[in-house]
Amino acid sequence: MNQLYLFATLAGTRVAVETREVEAVVKLTDISPVPGMGAHVAGLSALRSRVLTIIDVAALVRGQPTPAEQRGFAIIADISGHSYGLMVDAVYDICQVPEGELPLRGQLDPVWAPYARGLVEHEGQPYLLVSLSGFIDAGVMAQAA
Amino acid sequence: MDELLQEFISETQETLEALAGEVVAWEADPTDRDRLDAIFRFFHTVKGSCGFLNLPRFERLSHAAEDVLAEIRAGKRVADPVTVSAVLGIMDRIAELAEAVAIGAALPHENDDYLIAALTEKDSAAPEEGEAEAAPVAMARTSVAQAAPRTIRLPLSLIDQLMNGVSDMVLARNELSRKLRERSGDPELESAFDRLSTCVADMRDAISKTRMQRVDRLFTAIPRMVRDLGRDLGKRIDLVLEGGDVEMDREMVEMVVDPLTHIVRNSIDHGIETPEKRRALGKPEAGRLKLEARQSGNQIVIEISDDGQGIDARRLVEKGIAAGRLTPESAARMSEAEKLDLIFQPGLSTASAVTAISGRGVGMDVVRANVERIGGTIALDNRPGRGLTIMLRVPLTLTIIPGLIVRAGGLHFAIPRAAVVEILHDNNETLTIAEVGGAKIATIRSVRHSMIDLEEVLGMERVAQTGPRVVMVVRSASGIPFAMGVAAVENHEELVIRPASPLVMATGVYAGMTLPDNGRPMLLLDAAGLANAARLPNIADDQAARRAEETQEAQAAVEMVPALRFEEYSGERRLLKLSLIERVEDIDAGLFGRSGGRGFVRLDGRLVPVVGDHHDFAGEKVAALRLRDGVREACYPVAAVLDIVDMPAVPDMVAMHGLLSGVAVIDGEHLEVINPFALFAALPEEPIAERSGGRCLLADSDDGWTREILAPLLRQAGHEVVMGLPADAEVDPQDVVLFTGAEASQASELLGCRVVHLRATPRPSGPQDGSIYRYDQDALMAALAGSRR
Repeated sequence: MNQLYLFATLAGTRVAVETREVEAVVKLTDISPVPGMGAHVAGLSALRSRVLTIIDVAALVRGQPTPAEQRGFAIIADISGHSYGLMVDAVYDICQVPEGELPLRGQLDPVWAPYARGLVEHEGQPYLLVSLSGFIDAGVMAQAA
Repeated sequence: MDELLQEFISETQETLEALAGEVVAWEADPTDRDRLDAIFRFFHTVKGSCGFLNLPRFERLSHAAEDVLAEIRAGKRVADPVTVSAVLGIMDRIAELAEAVAIGAALPHENDDYLIAALTEKDSAAPEEGEAEAAPVAMARTSVAQAAPRTIRLPLSLIDQLMNGVSDMVLARNELSRKLRERSGDPELESAFDRLSTCVADMRDAISKTRMQRVDRLFTAIPRMVRDLGRDLGKRIDLVLEGGDVEMDREMVEMVVDPLTHIVRNSIDHGIETPEKRRALGKPEAGRLKLEARQSGNQIVIEISDDGQGIDARRLVEKGIAAGRLTPESAARMSEAEKLDLIFQPGLSTASAVTAISGRGVGMDVVRANVERIGGTIALDNRPGRGLTIMLRVPLTLTIIPGLIVRAGGLHFAIPRAAVVEILHDNNETLTIAEVGGAKIATIRSVRHSMIDLEEVLGMERVAQTGPRVVMVVRSASGIPFAMGVAAVENHEELVIRPASPLVMATGVYAGMTLPDNGRPMLLLDAAGLANAARLPNIADDQAARRAEETQEAQAAVEMVPALRFEEYSGERRLLKLSLIERVEDIDAGLFGRSGGRGFVRLDGRLVPVVGDHHDFAGEKVAALRLRDGVREACYPVAAVLDIVDMPAVPDMVAMHGLLSGVAVIDGEHLEVINPFALFAALPEEPIAERSGGRCLLADSDDGWTREILAPLLRQAGHEVVMGLPADAEVDPQDVVLFTGAEASQASELLGCRVVHLRATPRPSGPQDGSIYRYDQDALMAALAGSRR
């Protein structure tokens, strides 16, 4: 099973994302805020003629919004017909992982429980395997609540 | 193979859609060979293709249908309602199967034998089922069939991709344009750039057209539905479809299908009566249902009219009272239109019995909500006992709407222009904002609105600003307007609206987003959502009561009338009721003259009295007000026309003296108000222009003095001068004859009019001498004027 994974740090945690979910990684520029939304929606940003909804994943997971000056990169994903940008702290690499997905081990921080699907090992380090659409679904839930 | 299958399925589905109407039309006129052939061809094609694609069920069904149609073609059978129903049944089943194949689902497991049996069943059994009762739907499609243009099939995603590409191109163009502006102008470069701009714009237009679709598509399902409903309910309906070639946005078509279907159902179920009832009412047995689409500006109007019984407003009101939605008192105050409006209230229906088709009260409220959600409106034209016309107006496209750009909390937002009723600055005098217990109430011209500040609703900081804020009256889809405060209204633009992500939509206050040329995404506000978010009281208002209150308030308030503010030659500023002023005109100073101590002005070949004593005008032109009291007119020369203001109908200080009726205070300035009554009363009773006989006949036309000195003087004073006495007795009693010699005196007295005798010497020749010294201008004018009385 030679699945490609994107490795990144997200809200201070190492994560892996399946590359078929990822469209691109861009450096964030202007973000127009969306007032009336929770902190997990950082705002809207234009990528050429597309408008991305930028999700502040740190705010979603840990409840702490990322300060504006620390906004770096975003993973662009097309989820059910809409374009999203998920803010990440850093992006390292895209690699094939021969052994693929491993089951979760250890006691996971409860805040990550809704998002973690398993583990992926890369260069001897474990990474949490997360699904981008999971963050969007959680965002909608957070909004409804 | 997969591709072939896909092709087959989509082709089949498309043909089916188009054919549904044809089958119904064919039933109405079984002799119509063209339609029969078209249907036969369809089954034949399906049969052929599915043999090849190995779809046995399709094959069996189409084969059976083909057999029956072949018999009909050969004249061995007639196309009775049973057969048509059976053919329709087969078509439905083929559609189901095609749908299942298209989405890759398991084929539905119903038995096709029953359908095929129904098809081959001979007519013998039919009459007993009472099928003869149901009459076919006569259908007339007035749009002329055109030769089918050459088309290709494209996936929608490709078109979307093209659209996005063009949008990217437009943005790139805009950026380039900005960069070019920053640099020095090179005409060659600019003209090349202009050409590119034109190409991009054309391309954008062309691509937008790919999204358009003929309204025909909206109508395809209607004939079948009308036929089936008519049969179920035992009603006869003549269906007329018009304007199917009007084009509208593909998405819009999808959005209108449901409301339209609902209205047609309602119309057949509740509107059109049974044939017996119609006969009794003296109407033709077959009810008439007409669907008409047309384009009006950037809107599509879809009119659904029937000649049924219309809406019984009285029953609606009764139902409303019974449902506790309104009190008998408020019902009594309601106007006819408001009563009709009740039909859009949830849970109210005039149907006394709930039927399978409609009358469950989940009707017109949903229809209206759906239509309004896409920016449309719905209107009723009710003719009780004679029919009902429902008019749907929907925008041509969902994606481009005119919008206002507003600023609040340092951000920009768009709001559909259709939602904005009025825009005021908060320092406007007609607006007062009161605050009680945290609630804000804006009173605009004695109408009270709930007021919200956009920053507050969206949880933003209010940015301090120097100028006045803007209050806009916003009408949400629910129909109750409210006032919304924003920092400023910046601009209005045609906005290309795209859907926002569900995350953003979940807030409920945004309806979408747009990407303006500056590349910063902007959100489109949803008026109804804002009202909800602010939890504004959304009372199903007792509008009639409110209106009564309003009129009372309006009566209590000072009645204001528009007035013209102007400056007199004497330097005073005065007011005159605007309604008296016909127009303001610059008149040549030379046209003014005086006669008999009164000023006149020659206008359009008539003499018009001049108000006021001023008669020396500096300059060539004189600004003058042309006044009219309905019959008479007057000219009021003024030094300057200032502006139009509202003045109280009754002056603040009433002082009736002369030309003035009092003093009004406008913007802190005391202004005298002209009394129109006195103004016209002071005019000569008869309009001078009418005195056609008021001519001055100069008897001694040969005399040099008369010709060179007297005549010009008289003309300048506004008199009509005739040289010499008329040859015959064409002299009006009003005319004045002037002569210098003695000899004419006798003759002119015979003419029976006033005579003025002028003498050359200053002194009269004797006490009997009634003549006037020819250089005594005042006496001369007085004599002329006196002769006119």
